[in-house]
Amino acid sequence: MRYVRLVAALFRAAAQQQLADRADFAFGLLQSILNLGAGIIGLAVLFGQVRTLRGWDFPATLALLGTYLLLRALYGLAIGPSLDGLAGVRGDVYTGRFDFTLLRPVNVQFLSSAERWHPLALLDAALGAAVLVVATGQLGRALDAARLATFLVALMAGAALLYALALACATLVFWLPGLFFTWLFDIVFELARFPAQLYPPWTRLVLTSIIPIAVITTVPAQALTGTLHVTSLAGAVALAGAALVAATMLFRRGLRRYASASS
Amino acid sequence: MNLRAGWALIGTTWTMRLQTRGLFFIEALSWMVAPLAFLFVWVTAAGSGTVGGFSRGEFVAYYLLLIVIAQVTNVQHEWTVGDAIASGDLNRLLLRPMAPVLDVLAQDVAAVTVTLLFAFPVGAVLALLLRPELHPTPSDVILFFPALTLAWALRFCWSYALASLAFWTSRAGGLFSLHAALLFLLAGQVAPVALLPKPLRAVAILLPFRYMLGFPVEVLSGHLDATGIARGLAWQLGWLIVCLALARLLWRLGVRRYTAWGG
Repeated sequence: MRYVRLVAALFRAAAQQQLADRADFAFGLLQSILNLGAGIIGLAVLFGQVRTLRGWDFPATLALLGTYLLLRALYGLAIGPSLDGLAGVRGDVYTGRFDFTLLRPVNVQFLSSAERWHPLALLDAALGAAVLVVATGQLGRALDAARLATFLVALMAGAALLYALALACATLVFWLPGLFFTWLFDIVFELARFPAQLYPPWTRLVLTSIIPIAVITTVPAQALTGTLHVTSLAGAVALAGAALVAATMLFRRGLRRYASASS
Repeated sequence: MNLRAGWALIGTTWTMRLQTRGLFFIEALSWMVAPLAFLFVWVTAAGSGTVGGFSRGEFVAYYLLLIVIAQVTNVQHEWTVGDAIASGDLNRLLLRPMAPVLDVLAQDVAAVTVTLLFAFPVGAVLALLLRPELHPTPSDVILFFPALTLAWALRFCWSYALASLAFWTSRAGGLFSLHAALLFLLAGQVAPVALLPKPLRAVAILLPFRYMLGFPVEVLSGHLDATGIARGLAWQLGWLIVCLALARLLWRLGVRRYTAWGG
């Protein structure tokens, strides 16, 4: 309960600060729409040349794009900005402001992952959800309760995996300051725009087992189109759980290395 | 302009860039990921056959050239020079006994050389892994150099004209996003212009974006006949004259009304 109130307070403070300027709001909206339009036209160009690609047709790939946009928006709502504020350029670990995070009477990992909010990301989330609804309508099969439930489970596993990977990348700042792993993660996460099956074999291997970015979006999209095998779902959930535990352990080890930056 | 001053300007930027190499390479990588994703997807689409007249190896060649050439012609004045105008940093440049554009030019030359240190090895490794097929005729190779030079000059002038808008408003961000989206869709990053759907292709041929990036790639990868190349060069030259005039006009009008404190 205390954490819910804390989140509400942090969110309100960020909203008051960022929504004060209406022009920024309009600019954010324009950018979201352009980003969405470019993504959809990109897919339309691809599927203007080929009808299906390794089992993926236009509506299915569009559903995956919707999943990607939704997850990216949720990531950009708090986790992305917070972790970037922790480990990014002139971040808290670099400047020593991380001392104040450590001093507060709340879980350090929680505060590091949810301190800074970006309310405008809710716009992107709404657009991503809209793409998902439209794509689901085009799939040509009514969405039953079982498929919807599978999708939601897969989506949560994807979100958890995304958080775990981002946290692990940000935590590397304690060992290798000056290499901006949070940025690197943001860049590489772009590759989750497309289904894992559309990548050549060795790239697919890297994106599903070494840096399992493709799992984050491919599994929920497969759940929605009804092509997901139960073992894949169980595997994704297990992977997400294991990644969360591993990332949390890494974060704790990283904390022990933090020696502050003040003299 | 004397040569020693020119070298000094280039050298300054070099030293600056090499100090923040981590940041710089990440920036270079971020320009690479989107075309790389499309490269992989088109390679999968082509399989062992062809899509829209492109075979697997031809897609690889097209996109690897695009990635390297995008780094050469990557000019971001709308952000860098625009910021200098908005923040008053331009004062420093205006006080020097030379045109500010020379300083910008020197920064770009320095930036390109450093980026290429990164882009060439990455391109070479990818070429070894993905086996591109490139068979340009000697005339393609010769005509590639004017096409590349014109592409770079066009992007430079266009970007400079966009940057000059900062003399009037600090809210041109929406326009820059539109520019980025069009560069993504119409300059040959989503697909080679020849593979775009008909209406989109017609627009791509009319607007300047293809001539800033995609056109030199098309010339060197041997996908254009003699008339296609001649027509493209004519479009490039035409747009260059328009953008050069526009950039000069906006800059002159802007500097006349420019006021700022400090510097």
